[in-house]
Order: sequence, then C-alpha cells, then structure tokens
Amino acid sequence: MFREFEGKTEQEAIAAAVAELQIDSQDFDVEILDSGRKGLFKKGPVRIRVHLDDEQFEEVEEGLLSAMTVPASTDSAIVEDYEQEIVDFVTTLLVKMGFPGSVEISYRKEGKLGLEIISKHSSIIIGRKGKNLDAIQLIANVVAGKLHEEIKVVVDSENYRIRHEEQLVRLAYKTAEQVRLNGRSRLLEPMNPFERRLIHTALNEFEGVQTKSEGEGLYKQVRIIKDDELPPLRS
Amino acid sequence: MEKDLVEYIVKSLVDKPDEVSVNVIEGEQSTILELKVASDDVGKVIGKQGRIANAIRVILSASATKGGKRVVLEILD
Repeated sequence: MFREFEGKTEQEAIAAAVAELQIDSQDFDVEILDSGRKGLFKKGPVRIRVHLDDEQFEEVEEGLLSAMTVPASTDSAIVEDYEQEIVDFVTTLLVKMGFPGSVEISYRKEGKLGLEIISKHSSIIIGRKGKNLDAIQLIANVVAGKLHEEIKVVVDSENYRIRHEEQLVRLAYKTAEQVRLNGRSRLLEPMNPFERRLIHTALNEFEGVQTKSEGEGLYKQVRIIKDDELPPLRS
Repeated sequence: MEKDLVEYIVKSLVDKPDEVSVNVIEGEQSTILELKVASDDVGKVIGKQGRIANAIRVILSASATKGGKRVVLEILD
C-alpha cells in the first residue's frame, strides 16, 4: 500500500506525510517520484510516495476516518445560514473590488466570527496600516448586524491583525522605555479605540510611566508620561 | 467596475435596495459616482460621523488603484 504527497522540498513532502498519517518518518519507506528539478534554476514541487505495510495502512485508514467524522459532529463544523451569508457577502465584495479570493471562517468565540481572506491580492486587500481590511470589516459588520443581532465580524488576512497587535505592543514598550529614561513625554500616532486600549493595557504593568488619551473623535492619540512628571493630585 | 461595486455594497446596507441608483460621470482624471438612495436610507449609507461612507470610499479607492483613475463618491440627498 502507498500514498503520495507533495511539497516544496523533500523534507516538506515528508512532513506532510507525517502530519496526515500520524506516524513517524522512520516507520515508512519513502520513494521520490519527482525531485522537482525542472531545469537549472526552476524548481517544481517534490512528489514522494510513502510505502506502508498492511497493518500500518489499516491504522492510518481508521485514523483518517475518525478525523473526518469527528469535526462534523461538533458545533464548529456546522455553518449557520447567517454565517454563510456573511462569508458570501465578503467573497462577492472581493470579486467586485477586482481582488478575488476565498473567505473562510477561522474561529467563533465570545460572539465574534473570525473570517480569513486567502488571496494573492492580500497586500492590497489589507492596505496601508490595514485601512482596506478595516473598511471591509466595517461594512461586513453592518451587513451582519442586519442578519443577526449579536455578532461581531473580525476580518483578517495573512494574520495581519495579530502581527499588527504585536507591533503596537512592541512600540508601546520601546516608547515607554525612552520616556522613562529621558523623562520627556511622547505622543503616539492617532489610533482607534481598540488599538489605544492595547497600548494602555500593555503599559498598565510597566513601572514608571502612565498613559492617557488626547484629542477628540474616534482616532485619539495616546501620550506616554513619566510618573513623577504628572502634576500632583490635589486632595 | 466601480459602479457595480458601489451598488452591491449600498444595496446590501439599505432597507430599500430597489431605490438605489448610481450615476457615473467620467472625467479625464477622475470618475464621479453620484449615489441616490431612498431618503430613509441616507443615514444608513453615511453612518455615524460618516464612518460607513468613508469605508465605502476606502474600498472604492482600493479597487480603483488598478484603473489608475481617481474615483469620487458623492451621496446625493
């Protein structure tokens, strides 16, 4: 018995086999069908064939069957009608924008529906500082609000949101360190409420500095101030 | 096509999609899209502090980067 796998390199193809079959790479024989060399510099995918004895094959079959049936019986695999409508809305929106891609539900938690856009146009779909992604998300939320009252849609692509959050927290620490060293307060760029909250929370535990928001409207700025520079509180 | 894009977004936001119309005015360097909706729906398209109108404009300009032309959205009332 054998099964075939593909990867950019031989190692990747073997890793794919190990992940799917759930057995150690030492436990099976690998035959390389296509080494991926398509010329001097061109490289195609590497194809391998994994040989298994009958006993192993049965185990694998059982494993695959249970892996396929288990998620279908849990809540997460059942797509509600309104969820499908939101997914369809975003998918069509991307097509009409001229940047087609696929939209998948990545998570559901605490009334949030996470959508992941997979597209070769992801850089423009995200936009500068996530501007386009935020606009798509806002519209998707209005549409979702019409379908289902208590759902918040989070639209992401290429893990932009988590990368951006990490970047903001790093910026917060770096700036706070500077403020603590030279004592001069620093004003960060305008940010939306969610981003500002991240900064406030990150620096809440940070000794020696305080934060406060300045400005009006949706996009306020966070100022980081050294503790003893604050005017003394009057009792 | 930008007209199609605006119509699609706006129709999914309003209560009276049949009353949505977009008039395209092609200029040399920019395209002006005049959007008309039912008077009860104007607020839904603009949103608080113009948030929704801005989001539509952001999506429009992202989409318009391919054509190289500036796209302006005007909401008529």
